[in-house]
Amino acid sequence: MTCDQIHEVLPDYWAEGMAPAARVALEVHLGECEACRREAESLRALWIGLGLVPAADKLEPSREMRARFYQTLTAYQQGLAEAKPARRGFGEWISEWWPKQPLQQFAAAAAMLVAGLVVGWELRRPAVPESSNEISQLKGEVTQMRQLVALSLLQQQSASERLRGINYAYQVDRSDDEVLNALLRTVSQDSNVNVRLAAVDALRNFATEPAARRGLVEALGKQNSPLVQVAIIDTLVDLKVKQAVPAFRSLEEQPEISPEVKQRAQLAVQRLQ
Amino acid sequence: MEATDNHLMTKVGAGDVSQLAVLFERHNKALFRFFVYQTRDRELAEDLVQDVFFRMLRYRASYDPRQSFTGWMYQIARNAHIDQATKRRGEVVNFDEFLERRPEPASADLTAEDRLRRSQDVALLKRAMDRLPADKRELLILSRYQGLKYEQIAEILGCEVGTVKVRVFRAVRALGQIFHELAGEKAS
Repeated sequence: MTCDQIHEVLPDYWAEGMAPAARVALEVHLGECEACRREAESLRALWIGLGLVPAADKLEPSREMRARFYQTLTAYQQGLAEAKPARRGFGEWISEWWPKQPLQQFAAAAAMLVAGLVVGWELRRPAVPESSNEISQLKGEVTQMRQLVALSLLQQQSASERLRGINYAYQVDRSDDEVLNALLRTVSQDSNVNVRLAAVDALRNFATEPAARRGLVEALGKQNSPLVQVAIIDTLVDLKVKQAVPAFRSLEEQPEISPEVKQRAQLAVQRLQ
Repeated sequence: MEATDNHLMTKVGAGDVSQLAVLFERHNKALFRFFVYQTRDRELAEDLVQDVFFRMLRYRASYDPRQSFTGWMYQIARNAHIDQATKRRGEVVNFDEFLERRPEPASADLTAEDRLRRSQDVALLKRAMDRLPADKRELLILSRYQGLKYEQIAEILGCEVGTVKVRVFRAVRALGQIFHELAGEKAS
């Protein structure tokens, strides 16, 4: 083994991935060559030292990272489920109808050209606005866009972005399940108390939805912040959600709940009955 | 028997995207640490992990089952990091803090002075790592911290295994030079 070849085998030696024969050859060379031996020893010490450096082994990603991943995955799955049938249907429809013979293809192209000319001619006439139809279509698109913006902002890392997402959630259709679910998730999982509080407020907008009422009652049990607990209790009382009474009673029995919250829950039970 | 990563990713590629959750659970921590080593920014590292898994979804059809999943994942991770490299923000991780908390291996034959020198050496080595050119540092992160085999690194970087080994050798040698310079500065 030569001094140059050593460079290629030392990394194997450090990683302990060396075949016995190569190892013997290396050790023979190191025994003979003083310069290589010294370099090999000093570099090996560095390699071992590197193993002590990282210390980030103890670093763990936050829980929100996992929550965000699952939100993205769910949204993606939903998107796929919605997109698939339409796309496949169109592809099949085209392949069924598209002529296979060149002559027929030419005829089809010519027919389309004529059809295009006719349509173009028709369109030259002053357009009569079919306003109500177009406007409702536009409105639909705007609502859809707001929904998308709200959903994507709610997934952002920064709390202020998520707050903006909640503001958008006020502008979506009240029967929008996706935004409703995203708000409920935010109430239960968001790391920031202000964001959770804002989401509780935004859910008042969905008061007529049974899912929103149920979700709020469930979220109450998962809260650890007294501020949010009080906000949820107040909202449930304002919305006159009678089903919340058992949840309020169970709060009163839990030792870790703060006295203020228990008092609020007690009042809430009285007001609802 | 547990499904292999390659098998799961093949399923994701075929449309069963829910399998990506298993891959996320297996690899999110290692990826997170890879990005923390590279960026020193915990928040950015988390964003990059999200980005990697999102790219896996988007490019799932391009996954070749003959390719190792880990290799493919780190290829995506490197691209995500390059795309993000200019935008830096958030909490910067202080490695020294973690170093201090790391217990020294208890061995009777180390004197108090030895132990002190060793912890100083480690701190110095960390500084040397910071000064190493990005490509060399990345190579040492992949091989030493992420525990990848040279064959896997070759796949990630798109070169021969022999080339990886020579480059690892050169990276450690360059690290040694910086380390000794820093030690010299300190001594003088």
